[in-house]
Amino acid sequence: MSRMMEFATPFSTLSTSLGQDVGWLTSLRKEASTYFKQHGLPAKKEEDWKYTSLQRLGQVVWEHTSKDSTILAADVEAVKQLDDAYHLVFIDGVYSDVYSEVASLPAGVIALPLSQSLDRVEVSTHFGQQAIIDSPGLTALNIMLVSEGAVIILDDNVAIDKPIELVFINTGNTSDLATHLHNVVVLGEGSAVDIVETHIGLTDAAYFANQITEVVLAADSYLKHYVVQQASKAAFHITHLSGKQAKNSIWQTHSVALGGKLARQDLHTQLLGEAAHCVMDGLYLPRGEQHIDNHTRVDHAVPNTTSEELYKGVLDEKGRAVFNGKVVVHQDAQKTDAKQQNANLLLSRRCEIDTKPQMEIYADDVKCAHGSTVGQLDEAQLFFLRARGLTELEARNLLTYAFVSEVIDQVTIPELRQSLTTLVEKSMPAVAATT
Amino acid sequence: MKMLEIKNLHASIEGNEILRGINLTVNAGEVHAIMGPNGAGKSTLSNILAGRSEYDITQGEVLYKGENLLDFEPEERAQRGVFLAFQYPVEIPGVSNIYLLKAALNAVRKYQGLDVLDAIDFLTLVRSKMDLVQMDEEFLHRGVNEGFSGGEKKRNEILQMALLEPALAILDETDSGLDIDALKIVSEGVNALRSEDRAIVMITHYQRLLDYIVPDFVHVLADGQIVKSGDKSLALELESKGYSWVAEVAPA
Repeated sequence: MSRMMEFATPFSTLSTSLGQDVGWLTSLRKEASTYFKQHGLPAKKEEDWKYTSLQRLGQVVWEHTSKDSTILAADVEAVKQLDDAYHLVFIDGVYSDVYSEVASLPAGVIALPLSQSLDRVEVSTHFGQQAIIDSPGLTALNIMLVSEGAVIILDDNVAIDKPIELVFINTGNTSDLATHLHNVVVLGEGSAVDIVETHIGLTDAAYFANQITEVVLAADSYLKHYVVQQASKAAFHITHLSGKQAKNSIWQTHSVALGGKLARQDLHTQLLGEAAHCVMDGLYLPRGEQHIDNHTRVDHAVPNTTSEELYKGVLDEKGRAVFNGKVVVHQDAQKTDAKQQNANLLLSRRCEIDTKPQMEIYADDVKCAHGSTVGQLDEAQLFFLRARGLTELEARNLLTYAFVSEVIDQVTIPELRQSLTTLVEKSMPAVAATT
Repeated sequence: MKMLEIKNLHASIEGNEILRGINLTVNAGEVHAIMGPNGAGKSTLSNILAGRSEYDITQGEVLYKGENLLDFEPEERAQRGVFLAFQYPVEIPGVSNIYLLKAALNAVRKYQGLDVLDAIDFLTLVRSKMDLVQMDEEFLHRGVNEGFSGGEKKRNEILQMALLEPALAILDETDSGLDIDALKIVSEGVNALRSEDRAIVMITHYQRLLDYIVPDFVHVLADGQIVKSGDKSLALELESKGYSWVAEVAPA
């Protein structure tokens, strides 16, 4: 590295109280710290960060302790996507005993804060292992300063009656708050669960969330994983989801990105067992001066694995989005079936999308398809709707909603689908009638 | 009552004059057919009446119920009771047919100062109209025209017309691409909508449609002008003599 990005925050001198006496974590932290001192955060000259700059993040002096995490119970209730679910609630990076509801979890399911799970073998085995390879700078920072997280562990053959919702709230009470949470999700053989991650900023405050979720799916397990991102319009919201899948496992991810000044999600899975399958669906709706970046990667490492990916973006005003979807079919991964699609709707002349579908194929007997589209609303469709009495604004909103509905329709929890529909409709850009 | 009055309408697109002085009066209760060869300006006329914006109106005016139609946005025309059955109805994946029908009906009702229909009343109404064009209820839940055959798309247009009950309906080449069975169904649908309060303007290339929907008046459009008007026998004469005959009788 020739030149490292400089930071206003002395990250390397900060510490966290989590697990100072836990050997495996202490030694991981040492490695992370050494890496971070040498490399820092990714810079724009790195291919994966070509269109997304962390420069402005580096210029802020980030506060690492929440000064005041008071919150109204009604606010917590209001931001949950689901009523009928188990909840783990984190407020300004701190686990909330009061608002979490996990007491009635069925046998064979653990849902706890990381601070209460450091002695678990599933945690010490999987924590940080994959993420550090994927995104070393941010992961190193996360591991150095990790203070909390959610741990979900399902025993073999356990299926759970209700979804588990992880709620991450920034109250805005502490300005420029940085949080480094790290979640670990481990599904035993034949187990199944729906997880909803809700990320929300209650105010327009600036904050920096640097979060990691590591997912380990044993054979025949099934995880439906929803991420609903409503960070504040001034937030740097950086998340990394990283999974390993054994044979016959299914990881279905649905990401909806609405918030953030700069939002970046890296999603990576490795299909390590035959017939493993992953679904990556996503929506991003940047407007104003928002920048939303989605990087995905699927590794087909063994024969007969499948992946399906559909990311859709609606960009308005000066919104910017980046989509980079990589599918790697390794040499032995014959009979891989991989589909990837990225479609973008540009509603203004000032928005910008950088889209890059990528396939690296090292096997010869595979089915791979990918494509990306960038377009505007269809004039013939608009005219048709207006000729049926809809105003121009109604027609535009209807066509925009029709474009995103393909992704929303994939959500199988009715309560969540309804809530996402409402959220997306609310954020539907108010297109001024141009007459 | 005069429903539509077109007076000396001249229109051009990108500097090319397509309509060169159209004059036409359509009264409530009448069905008019406008026939003409390709390139005569038939589609331009229907597009201008529906409100497409890419044409320049260089002269003349169009009155609808005495008001200047060309001053209205497409949606304002629709809300006031002008309906265009499209020659090529677009497909809109992601918007269900039932949603479109409801939104369109509510837009018209809102303009008329009526309450929106509740779900049950709406469905009852739609079902009765679907019977008219022999459409299966399954079509309600598909995307608008998505994967419909040519005939199904045209039936869907007539379904929308039946639901919206316009005062003035313009049918643009509604017969094109229809086999004989579909043509019969569509025609029966249109005939059922003929009424004293409604005017219908059919634009067509072929006489065939007029066997099923018998017009009160037939006009021949050629080179941007109405060159001949008459009753239904004019259509038969055209059929036997061909459009070249029109060119001969057209004023120089």
